[in-house]
Parts: sequence; structure tokens; C-alpha cells
Amino acid sequence: MPERMSFFIPRESRIHSLNPLTKLTLAFSLIIIAFFCPGLFLPITINFLVLVPLSFLGKVGKEFIQTSIRLLLPLFAFLFVMQSLFYPGGKTELFGIWIFSVTSEGVVFAFRTATRILVMVSSFLLLLLTTHPSALMSDLARRGVPASLSFIITSTLQIIPQMQAKAATIQDAQRSRGLDTGGNLINRIRSLLPLVGPLVFSSLVDVEERAIAIEARAFTLPVEKTSLVEIPDSPAEAILRWFLAAVAIITIGYRIWLSLSSRI
Amino acid sequence: MAVIELKNLTYHYPLSETPALQSIDLEVEEGEFLAIVGANGAGKSTLCYTISGFIPHFFKGELAGSVNVAGMDPTKANLGTCVQKVGLVFQNPFNQISGSKFTVYEEIAFGLENLGVDPQEMRERVDEIIRRTRIADLRDRSPYALSGGQQQRVALASILVMKPQILVLDEPTSQLDPIGSQEVFQVIKEMALQGMTIVMAEHKVEWLAEYADRVLALSAGQIIKLGTPQEVFSSSELPKHGVGISRYTQVARRALQENLWLEGRRMPVTLDESIEGFREIIP
Amino acid sequence: MKLIDSIKRDFNTMTLVMIPVAIAINVVIGQIVSLLKLPVYLDSIGTVLVAAICGPWAGALTGTLSNIIWGLLIDPNAFPWFPVALVIGFVAGWCAVGGLFRAWWKVIIAGILVSLAAAAISSPIQVYLYGGITASGSSFITAFLLQSGRDLMTAVLSTNFLVEPIDKIATCLLAFVSARYLARFPRPENIMGSSSR
Ligand SMILES: Nc1ncnc2c1ncn2[C@@H]1O[C@H](COP(=O)(O)OP(=O)(O)OP(=O)(O)O)[C@@H](O)[C@H]1O
Ligand SMILES: [Mg+2]
Repeated sequence: MPERMSFFIPRESRIHSLNPLTKLTLAFSLIIIAFFCPGLFLPITINFLVLVPLSFLGKVGKEFIQTSIRLLLPLFAFLFVMQSLFYPGGKTELFGIWIFSVTSEGVVFAFRTATRILVMVSSFLLLLLTTHPSALMSDLARRGVPASLSFIITSTLQIIPQMQAKAATIQDAQRSRGLDTGGNLINRIRSLLPLVGPLVFSSLVDVEERAIAIEARAFTLPVEKTSLVEIPDSPAEAILRWFLAAVAIITIGYRIWLSLSSRI
Repeated sequence: MAVIELKNLTYHYPLSETPALQSIDLEVEEGEFLAIVGANGAGKSTLCYTISGFIPHFFKGELAGSVNVAGMDPTKANLGTCVQKVGLVFQNPFNQISGSKFTVYEEIAFGLENLGVDPQEMRERVDEIIRRTRIADLRDRSPYALSGGQQQRVALASILVMKPQILVLDEPTSQLDPIGSQEVFQVIKEMALQGMTIVMAEHKVEWLAEYADRVLALSAGQIIKLGTPQEVFSSSELPKHGVGISRYTQVARRALQENLWLEGRRMPVTLDESIEGFREIIP
Repeated sequence: MKLIDSIKRDFNTMTLVMIPVAIAINVVIGQIVSLLKLPVYLDSIGTVLVAAICGPWAGALTGTLSNIIWGLLIDPNAFPWFPVALVIGFVAGWCAVGGLFRAWWKVIIAGILVSLAAAAISSPIQVYLYGGITASGSSFITAFLLQSGRDLMTAVLSTNFLVEPIDKIATCLLAFVSARYLARFPRPENIMGSSSR
């Protein structure tokens, strides 16, 4: 499986050297604004006037655009076709195809949904392209997220490639024993069973020993842990984070106020 | 002074009828290197786990008799305290990688992070230990991208950096190729020569004969022999219990039948002893 | 305090090392299945496995983190669906506590319960975030129902109630078969019954 197993691209940039929590806060604030602020063109503005320039500042602009197209194009194509054709309650017909009619309400709805999802995915992409997952996790652990949580996430990132290799080995072995893994549905389902069993089993037999190994390294000792890598942070960034959080909260408040007042 | 003291120790794994260890009496002195030998299933790992506190904390089960390790009763202390005094390294190098670190250097620091050691001191201790275990050149590699022998030295370093008083090794080379084993043995030898208390389950009799102070032979959970390598490895009882004896002893036994070994001369367990013996016959 | 004890019971060191393996199982098998173009996802076998052998809280955490990992590594579109994965783990865990993972026909009941919970949680997310349509084949059913005059939520809910059970029953059965291979795990009574070890 040639899928690259992390989005992170190690480069030197202003965005890379930001504290991970700052980037995480930025992502969440932009998503909240995109979803809760009225304004049909707000999300797409955020994407092209905030996220895209930031990605170029972070020297990952090309990858940023490529990855978002790869991740979102199929979804958006599907979304536009289905929504413009089937949007319930569409009245203003733009044009008709066979028995279907494309309504402007449907197109607007698809546009709104798509641009919001675009902001959601792109905000995270900016974070992920410029932040090593373990830096994010150790920064969160330092701020009080339980160590076991960051342990789980970082070790999963290491186990997945190993397990992919293991799965490939099992599949090769199956093929060399003449098991048909292509063709019709029944064949494909049948090829799955002898894969799942061995894969799960071989991965879980080692669990006991690995638990002993991390106990032997005092993982469960009830003292406050320290961290080898110190992740840079600054008071200016802290202020920026508080500012972003405040904007997000105000946005939600504004939205609640809007919907309450429209109901009266 | 005894740092490990087991008195009439008997242990059953959960739901198991037969004891995995039975009436074990053992004292290990500070700075001593004790080897444990025995056939598969003899109880070597079980004894290692008992000394390092994983029995009863991790495996539960029933433990009778008394245990005293490094001045504490591991059955009463919590596991976190036990592992600070007793380091455990076991067979499979791959399974000893914490999995949460991306470089060898961070991997070795993992234990110190858990102990809450100050980052400055942490770096000093990791730097020192990677030098002593000769893995300084691997420091920025991923722990998963190493050979078995390298991984096992990383595992050793990761435990040694925590400065345990006692080092327990459960067949640390049994899954390594000859070169990997050699590298690991070299590190263990240096630790032993520096006066660290070591308990090591191992099959490579010739190596143990050379470096161990005493050898404990186990069979079906019981001690069948305890003494110097010379006493234990030349014993004719060991093969009956499925325990290998030294190659040099085997050669000398055969030589005795062929009149190439002096009648009544003690059986050799090391290369030097056997050469000495043959010198007397062949001047 | 009963709640905290119930949560604590699920998390020992064994669980802690088992969860990453389970998440990796979700991701790797999920990817293979999507390559095989089967009409199911099978991306929560690991979650159900942990839920059954370690407990509902551990299962919920496994599901949640699976989606976060999937989002971190493969597609950030996975993030907003984490409540579905959480509920799958949680419900499967309580099914196991209630003894539904002791025989294969009971596992089918567990699969149905899990799928109902999953459909109930995923439908609102699908409606509010994606306008009811996602890039999967089942959206054609939704479109058909919409066309025949249902409102959006009803259409999405009915679609999910229709397609989820196949996937979740298959998932639970596969997790059940895999669990039988494992010798020692934290809650053997969930799988083996209380009489045997
Ligand atoms: N977790 C366990 N639960 C129940 N019985 C166990 C467990 N681990 C080991 N045993 C049993 O206890 C006995 C001693 O096993 P132990 O692993 O200590 O032997 P060993 O000398 O280390 O063998 P080997 O050379 O194979 O490593 C064996 O009969 C084994 O089957
Ligand atoms: Mg053993």
C-alpha cells in the first residue's frame, strides 16, 4: 500500500516553528467560524485568503493544494450532482435533465456544504502538514492531556506501517497458495477471512510482553512525568491562542443569539 | 550482604494446578552474577519475573514464602517502585520497544521521562549510556529500523539508564543471530565486571562458565543444583533434566573414554580448563 | 464513584498496549476492504474486539481514537464521525458484558444493536455536516427516498438502518472469531462464559 502514512513534511518555516497548540486552536476557530457564521461566501474566503496564504508561508503550499484536491474532489463531485438533483424543497428550477430538475436551492446548498467541508479539511491539513504528530502529542501531554492518551496515539502511528507490511505478507502467501483474491464478490469475501484471523492473532499475541516492557520502564509510576523534547512556545503565541478562542466563542454566541431572535 | 533473598518460595500461575516454582531458597550477594539454566518450561522466566516484581503484580496467581529484593518486599511495594530497583530485559527485542518514540535517543529517555527526571540530567544520562552500550551511532534512527542485536542493546540501554540496582536478563540473546548475541554479551560482560548485580537466564553454557559467579539449575520449578559454574556444568545430573552441559565437558568425557584425559582430573567447563587438561596428556 | 470504578476497571497496561494494535487493525483492514471494493466497511473490527475483551469504556476510546488517527493519517474527513465510532465501541462493550459475545447467534444480535446505535448517531452528523449525502453508494438509496417525498432526516435514517446491520454484524462476527484465538485477556468471561477459564 503506497499510501503515505503521515501528512507531515519536515521543512523550516514560520508555520512549522509555531507551537502545535497554536495551530490546533487556529484550525478549530476557523472551522467554528466557517460553520456558524452566516454568509455564503465566508468559508471560501477563509480558505483562499487565510489558509492558502498560510500554507505558502509554511512552504507546503503545493502539497496543501494537491492533498485537498485529492481528498475532496470526489466528495464534491458527488455532493454537487446529488444535491442539485435531489435537494428536497428546491423550487427555482435552473434547467432540467430527463426526469430530474436542477434547482438553484440545491446548488446553493451544495456550495455551502462543500465550502464548509473545505475549510474543515484544509484547516487540519495545514496543521498536519507542518506538525509532527508526536510533537503535537507531547505538547498536549505537557499541558495535561493524559500520558496514556498520547502513548496510544504515537504508538499507533508506528504500528500501522508494520501491520500493513504484515498484511501484505499474508496476502502474498495466500496468493502463492493459489487463493483467488480478485474476481467476483464471493471470491473477494472469501479471501478476506484467512487474512483477518492471522493478522489479528499475530498482532495481539505480543500484547502481554509489550505491556511488561512498558511497565519495566516505569510507565505506570504515579509521579509527574518530564519530557525530553521541549516544544517551543511564547507568550505572544499564548495571547494569539486566547484571541482565537475568544473569536470562536463569540461566533457561537452570535449564532445562538441569531437563532433565538429569529424564533421570537 | 544479600540483595536478593528468597525463602521457601512457591508460586502458582492463576488457575494452574502445578506450581511453576516450588520451595525455592536462594540468596544472591551484591555484585554477584548468577546464571539460571534449565530446560524449556523449567521456570526460568517465572523466577526472573518474581525477582523483578512482575509476579505477583502483573501475573497475579498465588505466591507463598518470602521474597526480599534490594531491601524491599516486592509483593508489598508497587510495581513502579520495583522496576526502579530491578531492571528487566527479556527475549524478544522487538517487543521491548515502547512504540511511542520515533528515535533511539528518545526511546532510551522514555523510562527517565516516566521517572520525572529533569531534562538536563536526562540528556547526560542517555549520552553516557549510549556510549557504554556502543549505540551512539544509532541515536537518530527509528528503533524499529534496527537489527535484533541493535534493538536488544537499545533495550538494555533503556533499562540501564534508569540505574537499577539489580539487572535481570531473561534469555536476552536467544532470538538473536551470532553477531547480535556477541554484541549483547559484550555489554553484559562489562556490566558484570563493573560489579553490577546480575541475574541471567541463559542457554549458552560456555559463556556462562566463563563469566558467571554461580549457576542455578532449575527443573520443573525446583532447584536441582546451585554452585559455581565448575560444579554445576560438569555435573552428570544436568543432562537428565534436559539441561545442556558445556561443550568442553562433552569433549573431555569422550576423551576420558579414549584415555586422552587423566582419570580423576575434574571435568573442564571452559576453553582454558580443557586446554590445561589436554596439556597434561599431550606435553 | 461507581462510574469511575467502572471506567478504571477497563484500563490497565494490557488495555493500553492493546488499543493501538486494535486501531491499527481498524485502519489496515478498513483499507484492504475498501481496495477489495466490498459492499461493507469493516473498519471497526479492532474496536469491537477491544470492547468485547477489555470493556465498554476501552471500546469507546478505541473507536474515538481510530477516527482521530484516520483523520491524522489518511483523511481529515474522518474527524467529525468520531461519535459514531465511540458509540460502536461502547454499545459493543455492554453487549459483551451482557453475554452477547458467547455464541455466534448472540453475536448477530449484538451486531444489530451496534448497527442501530451507529445509525442513530451517524444520521444527524450526515444531515447537518454533509447535507445527507456522502461519497458512498448508499447515498443512492437516500436520493431515491428523497425523490419519493421523504424529508432528509427520515431518508438518511432509513438508509442507515438499512445498510448498517450488514456491516456491523460482519464486524462483530469477525471480532468474535478473532477473540477466540487469544489466550489471556482482561475479561475472559465476556467471551468464554464464566464456567471455563
Ligand atoms: N502466564 C502463564 N500462565 C500459566 N502458566 C504459565 C504462564 N507462563 C508460564 N507458565 C507455565 O509455567 C511453567 C514455567 O514456565 P517458564 O516460562 O517460567 O519457563 P522457562 O524456563 O522460562 O521456559 P523457556 O525456556 O521456554 O523460556 C511452564 O510449565 C509454563 O507452561
Ligand atoms: Mg522463558
